[in-house]
Amino acid sequence: MIQKKVCMVGVYGTGKTSLVQRFVHSLFSAKYHSTVGVKIDRKSVKVGDTDVNLLLWDIEGRTSDQEIPASYLKGAHAVFYVADGTRRETFEQLFSLQELAQSAAGQVPSIVAFNKYDLKDQWLVQQADAAKLINAGFRMMTTSAKTGEGVEEAFRALATATLSSATTQTVQPPARHGN
Amino acid sequence: MPDDGAPLTESAGGATNVGDVSVRELSELRDLLFGAERRQLDELRRRLDTAELTPEELAEKLPQAIVQRTARDRQLGIALAPTVENAIKESVRRNPQELATAIFPVLGPAIRKAIAETMAGLVNTINRAIEHSFSPQGIRWRIESLRTGVPFAQIVMRHALVYRVEHVLLVHAETGLLLANAPEGSLGDADLISSMLTAIGDFVNDSLEPKKTGELRAFAAGDVTVLVETGPRANIAAVVRGTPPDSLPAKLQSTLETIHLQWCDPLTSFDGDAAGFTTTRPLLEDCIETVLATDRRAKADGRRWVAWAIAALLIVAGIEWWTSRGNRQWSAALARLETEPGIAVIRSERSGGKWRVTGLRDPLAVNPSLLMASRGVDTNDVVAHWEPYVSTEPVLLLARARHVLAPPGGVTLSLRGDTLVGTGRAPAFWIVRADGLAPALAGVGGVDLSRVTPGLPASMEPIATEIERLRALFAAGSDALDQSALNTIATAAAKFRELSAAANAIRYGVSMQIVGRADPTGTESDNVTLSRRRAVAVRDRLVSLGVSVSRLTVDASGSSDPVLADTPAERARVNRSVSFAIRAEPSRTANGAERER
Repeated sequence: MIQKKVCMVGVYGTGKTSLVQRFVHSLFSAKYHSTVGVKIDRKSVKVGDTDVNLLLWDIEGRTSDQEIPASYLKGAHAVFYVADGTRRETFEQLFSLQELAQSAAGQVPSIVAFNKYDLKDQWLVQQADAAKLINAGFRMMTTSAKTGEGVEEAFRALATATLSSATTQTVQPPARHGN
Repeated sequence: MPDDGAPLTESAGGATNVGDVSVRELSELRDLLFGAERRQLDELRRRLDTAELTPEELAEKLPQAIVQRTARDRQLGIALAPTVENAIKESVRRNPQELATAIFPVLGPAIRKAIAETMAGLVNTINRAIEHSFSPQGIRWRIESLRTGVPFAQIVMRHALVYRVEHVLLVHAETGLLLANAPEGSLGDADLISSMLTAIGDFVNDSLEPKKTGELRAFAAGDVTVLVETGPRANIAAVVRGTPPDSLPAKLQSTLETIHLQWCDPLTSFDGDAAGFTTTRPLLEDCIETVLATDRRAKADGRRWVAWAIAALLIVAGIEWWTSRGNRQWSAALARLETEPGIAVIRSERSGGKWRVTGLRDPLAVNPSLLMASRGVDTNDVVAHWEPYVSTEPVLLLARARHVLAPPGGVTLSLRGDTLVGTGRAPAFWIVRADGLAPALAGVGGVDLSRVTPGLPASMEPIATEIERLRALFAAGSDALDQSALNTIATAAAKFRELSAAANAIRYGVSMQIVGRADPTGTESDNVTLSRRRAVAVRDRLVSLGVSVSRLTVDASGSSDPVLADTPAERARVNRSVSFAIRAEPSRTANGAERER
């Protein structure tokens, strides 16, 4: 069986742990638990004829006084960025997070999930912001850990990308930073 | 020849014959001067051009190279292993007989060794069971097992365990992904644990050691320790229960080095597919081991022998007690038998699990089996042989005398020395018979029946006494029966009939003597005559009352056998009388029957 290390990266409180819980255990809790260090979970998904065992490293979120430990990102086969659509700063920090992740794990497949889509009436991310991300080489999806919307698809897309990363890596746009 | 070619080519361009001669000469001169050096140079050039060892050279150096490399490390063996394995497989495939013949001499010793080790393991298991069964610790563990419901074997294992390497994981260093683990399938979440191990290592490095000068090598929880050895491409982790030995990290490191060497390419190009690492499992399984408390063997051995000794001692003491108890009971019973009259023990022994006794026994002695049983001896274990004999012990002698002589109730028999002594009152015929029989009894030297007085049988005695007290009185010089005399005679007749009936019942014959008396007055001859007349008068009266005359005898005493009285007048009165005396003896037929008996 193929195993892939996937790192969940984002600002604190964006819902990284909730997404993993929803994806792995089909559970959602409105209670907030901040992650200390890292929590690891796993889930097998089938991509085509291949079983892929995703080892999900749910890394503690970045705070104003705490950077994400780069060592957790080392050797990651994919990075799952998580932003909160209702908090604009979580989007703005994606670029520096990408820089950090790429310096630790190299050019690996990634996806950006704009989480908490169930609160889309409070949405603060604009169309222009999305364009900015696409230019920076991000692939974007909206998700809701609460309703489960887009969650399975996001992880599945990332798993698929890891299997084909050897070929897709070359066709992906070169990494460009948002600034 | 190349060395010849060059000068020839040089001269190919427009040379003359003269020139040819000079060139040839020059060449010869050069050969003479530098021939040896040129050949050396050509050889060196050849070697530089080919830059490879010739088979001859290789054959020269190979053995030495193998020896040197083998002395340095295990890598040559590791590198050669697959080739050798393939070679053996191929050999077996082509001709199995060849290899079977070759290894035949080692098969026997190998099998013997395997059996010996299995037996040693079995003995060890038994020893452990004994140690754990007899020691207070073992009893504690049993109680713990009962209390917690955990099987006893597990409790023993938990306490006796020094350490056990339960799981070994090979982890990709960069990604933390699991490459392989052993034993296979033993750890359900091996992939998660593998990642967490890496994350913990990262966490410790980031949190405690910012400069990252070291790696997490071990951590412990309860009695479980996780040892981690790190390599450039992969890490190896061992989950150990108990106290891991100092040698374990080195062993893990050695395994890790081997894996790095043999799986160098798969490790470098690892991209999540661990299929190529399943072949590392035998190496990982080499690290799995269980070590029980063998280092405490000396102490344990001591305890075990003490336990054995106590058990053996208890068993011996039990057997000894049981045997000696049987012995004691037997000895006591035997001593009692020997003191018993009429029993003489000649020989006794223990053989074939039975007590055997031989001796003499008087038929009148007690039953030996009953006596032994009463002393607690199991008579099923006794084989006895008693020869009959006649004992002269006083007790048995008396018993035999009583049995043979059958003395009547009024007679007591005893022994004085070897003389049988009788006392009391018995019928005269018994006295006569006993006097004749007793000397014939074994052990009886003499008989003394002088103190046995003859007498009537008890049923007749009172009646006879009553009759003999009767007295028919007469007037002086008269033989006439007055009323008082008639009454007395009537009483005498009635009593005599009663006596006859009682005598008949016991086959006795009775007769009555009628004794007439006279007072001293007058001459004796007159008195005799008078007394006879008086007796006859009474006899006739008795006959008239129905008493058979044949049972009556008449005796005239005159005044020669007077009845005593206090005064002469009274004496004269009571002697003018007739009195009666009873004679009794066994009837003729009865006596004959007695004799026959």
